[in-house]
Amino acid sequence: MTGRTTGLKAAAAIGVLAVGLAACGGGSGGSGGSDDGKPKKGGTLKLVGAGGQDNLDPTSAYSTTSSALQRTYARQLFAYPASKDPKAASTPVPDAAAEMPTMDNGGISKDGLTYKIKVRQGIMWDTQPARPMVAGDFVRAFKHMCNPASPVGAPNYYVPNIKGMQAYCDPYLKNKKLQQDTKGMEDYENSHDISGVKALDDYTIQFTLTKPASDFISLLGMTFASAVPVEYYKYVPNTPDEFRHLVSAGPYKITVFNPGKQIVLEKNTNWKQDSDPLRHQYVDRIEVTEGQESPETVQQQLEGGNADISLDQPVPASALGRLAKSNDPNLTVNGPPISNPYLVFNFKSPNANKAMSKLKVRQAIEYAINKVALARIYGGPKYNTPLNTVIPPDSVGYQDYNLYPTNGSQGDPAKCKSMLAEAGYPNGFKIKAAYRQAGNHPAIFQSYAQDMKACGITVEGVPVPQADFYTQFLQKTDNTTAGKWDVAAPGWVPDWFGNNGRAVVSPLFDGRNWADGTSNYGDYDSPITNGLIDKALTAKTVDEASNYWHQADQQIMKDAAIVPFMAQKTPWYHSSRVKGATWLPIAQQFDYTNLWLSGSGS
Amino acid sequence: MSLTDLEAEASVPPASEEPDGRKIEGRSPWQLAWARLRKDKAAMISVVVIVLLIVMALLAPLIAKWVGYAPDFGDRKLGQTVDGLPVGPNGHHVLGTDRFGRDILVRSVYGARVSLLVGLVSTVLAVVLGVIIGASAGFYGGAIDTILARAMDVTLSFPYLLFALALAAGFGASVPLTIFVITFFSFASIGRIVRGQVLQIKEREFIEAARSLGAGSIRTMFIDVIPNLIAPVTVLGSMTIPTAIIFESTLSFLGAGTDPRTPTWGNMLSDATQSYTVAWWTLFVPAAFLLITTLAFNILGDAVRDALDPRSERLFAAQKANRKKKRK
Repeated sequence: MTGRTTGLKAAAAIGVLAVGLAACGGGSGGSGGSDDGKPKKGGTLKLVGAGGQDNLDPTSAYSTTSSALQRTYARQLFAYPASKDPKAASTPVPDAAAEMPTMDNGGISKDGLTYKIKVRQGIMWDTQPARPMVAGDFVRAFKHMCNPASPVGAPNYYVPNIKGMQAYCDPYLKNKKLQQDTKGMEDYENSHDISGVKALDDYTIQFTLTKPASDFISLLGMTFASAVPVEYYKYVPNTPDEFRHLVSAGPYKITVFNPGKQIVLEKNTNWKQDSDPLRHQYVDRIEVTEGQESPETVQQQLEGGNADISLDQPVPASALGRLAKSNDPNLTVNGPPISNPYLVFNFKSPNANKAMSKLKVRQAIEYAINKVALARIYGGPKYNTPLNTVIPPDSVGYQDYNLYPTNGSQGDPAKCKSMLAEAGYPNGFKIKAAYRQAGNHPAIFQSYAQDMKACGITVEGVPVPQADFYTQFLQKTDNTTAGKWDVAAPGWVPDWFGNNGRAVVSPLFDGRNWADGTSNYGDYDSPITNGLIDKALTAKTVDEASNYWHQADQQIMKDAAIVPFMAQKTPWYHSSRVKGATWLPIAQQFDYTNLWLSGSGS
Repeated sequence: MSLTDLEAEASVPPASEEPDGRKIEGRSPWQLAWARLRKDKAAMISVVVIVLLIVMALLAPLIAKWVGYAPDFGDRKLGQTVDGLPVGPNGHHVLGTDRFGRDILVRSVYGARVSLLVGLVSTVLAVVLGVIIGASAGFYGGAIDTILARAMDVTLSFPYLLFALALAAGFGASVPLTIFVITFFSFASIGRIVRGQVLQIKEREFIEAARSLGAGSIRTMFIDVIPNLIAPVTVLGSMTIPTAIIFESTLSFLGAGTDPRTPTWGNMLSDATQSYTVAWWTLFVPAAFLLITTLAFNILGDAVRDALDPRSERLFAAQKANRKKKRK
């Protein structure tokens, strides 16, 4: 869901999305000081940003911006609570489900293949007259995922894992004739069933999986799996016509949709507080103004009080130092942290006598890097901390350990040098480092290049335009095998947090099926790691999965496939009248349904 | 504009300028130009500034050694705050540091090397290329002229910044590439003016005289035409240097000039956009160096033009002369 489009297009179907976090810092705990007080009702929340790639269709939308807006009108069986504790905020809880299924309460079968989920009663669609949300609306959600007009953003999360879904989807997806035919799509969905998704009664839904998946609750917590009302059959999915007629089940509904310019949401009068454990209806209106692409301008508007929250633009790097220095209470630094950026090695490169394919060389570089200096580029310890593991804190599988310790994480050029000599490079060598020409990326390149130089490695910079960095450069296997780069510092924002090995370790480090479009950029391929990934993905419980993910983490670090730089939190700013802002990690945005405006509002 | 004019002027010294009966000395046009240049105080200050800049650039490694920091060395202990902010001018870093902890003074001094190198080399190349192409076009005329003149027009109509950015993206940014780009976009404007001059000169009587005495094309070109181009070309060249320096900085600023680690003023200004709100010196120092350098070359270029072509009076000089007349 959260097709991490913090500035980039959503990545491929794998579902996780490499991001061009142009200027993200990361930081320490929740939001600033004492902004709470008693929630107040009323006022118009003003969002401003670039916008322009609006997809508000819950099934197919794959961007953080869209996820944040969908929080106000789409409901999933499980969703994330508003919390200042990053761990709680990234652990799904029942939303449209009545309770959390477990093996103990019989909701999950002992073999981990069947999920029986009770649907909460009393949730009303914004229809005249009000109609209750039922289990069938979720069955429809899964059928709708394979509509040929605008299918689910990340099919691999669902189609291979739910019994019968592949058979249901294959002919439907390929039927291009149905692309503009709403009646045809409705007929197909009504006359075909997914054997693994059944409504046992109006308020019970049952899923049957092809293999155990301890993160299935997380998958149900993505906006892709939002309930789909029958009214959606009237419109071609992912069109402005559909967006203007979305049927809300949350506290707000879309009343104005003007592509690339403005979106207005107003109160949904059918929504009742007691049917929603996660959201509130504090502000009267939410107004989205699009077309503002400069992070600096957006920041000025927020600080000046002309707007309240940035829709999609990061806090500009140039403002981070100033805001930290002045201890601005409206700056929040939000977790869980992500590993961004990190150094990836090109195992396929022929350069410098295949230096990058040699374990000793990669391990030497692990010792060379001054992680403190890198962290300072993103604002220093207020925003991020040096990271030594593949999985960052607050994600499943994280355990603190460090295979390549250096004094104060500041790097050890002497150790690097001696290891390079052992590896057969007493006089160093020359490599190519690809970096994005945007935001902090040239700075990151300069910082690690200085560390490598101190170790005797000459680094030639290969600047790549931001827009081409992933799809046209790192993800092209021809570039990789030709040695057009030896190291690069990509970023990654997982599609969800918590139990998310499927969205992090699996796409980045599974060495099988290496091909164009891969996110395992340098073709790291270890049979041990691949095996651990399989075990983790099919584990029956989170604890079991967590253990395998940690083992995979250790194996990857042992093989020195990457150099983690920092666990980076996300700085986000709001105007001084916004109170009670809590971070929604899955949307990389404040929860619009849990904040309120101080003063008289307007 | 040409030396022949100067010769004509010099050969008929007006008697009224010798009221005290000083000895009449024969002076070459270059001596006269030099005398005029020396009287121009602004020009002399510019010359001193430029000489100082050149000395500074040549001694950059010594200055770095004396200060104690290499230009690409990020001093993470004394040159950065724990939050990654630059450190202001202090005992260790006289002009402060940038956000990597690199010494601003050392980088600025090294920046002079790149700026002057690019400025001078690309100007010399542009002048040589411009004179060869412009003179050939003007001198030979006909088809050669058509082809060369059109080629120069085409060059001049290129969107030079887009072209430069595209080249940098394709071939990777480097100093030689920057020099190439600046040369490529400067030679045409020089060449066009040279062509115009040659068209004028070749109709003059002394060329006809040379021809009638049996001089060949090559001889006429090198003995009679080219020397008469020295004055306008000197002026053009001295005006191209500051443009080239600014262009280099622009390219670096946009990330298309050189590797971001290379200390150039453009790179420094580009870095400063991230930090100037909290560290004014990161912006001020390289901007001041750039301003002083381009100003010095511009003033000198102006003065050289005035000295070589005294008829093109400057506005202020003309006003002064008028005032004097009125007083009389």
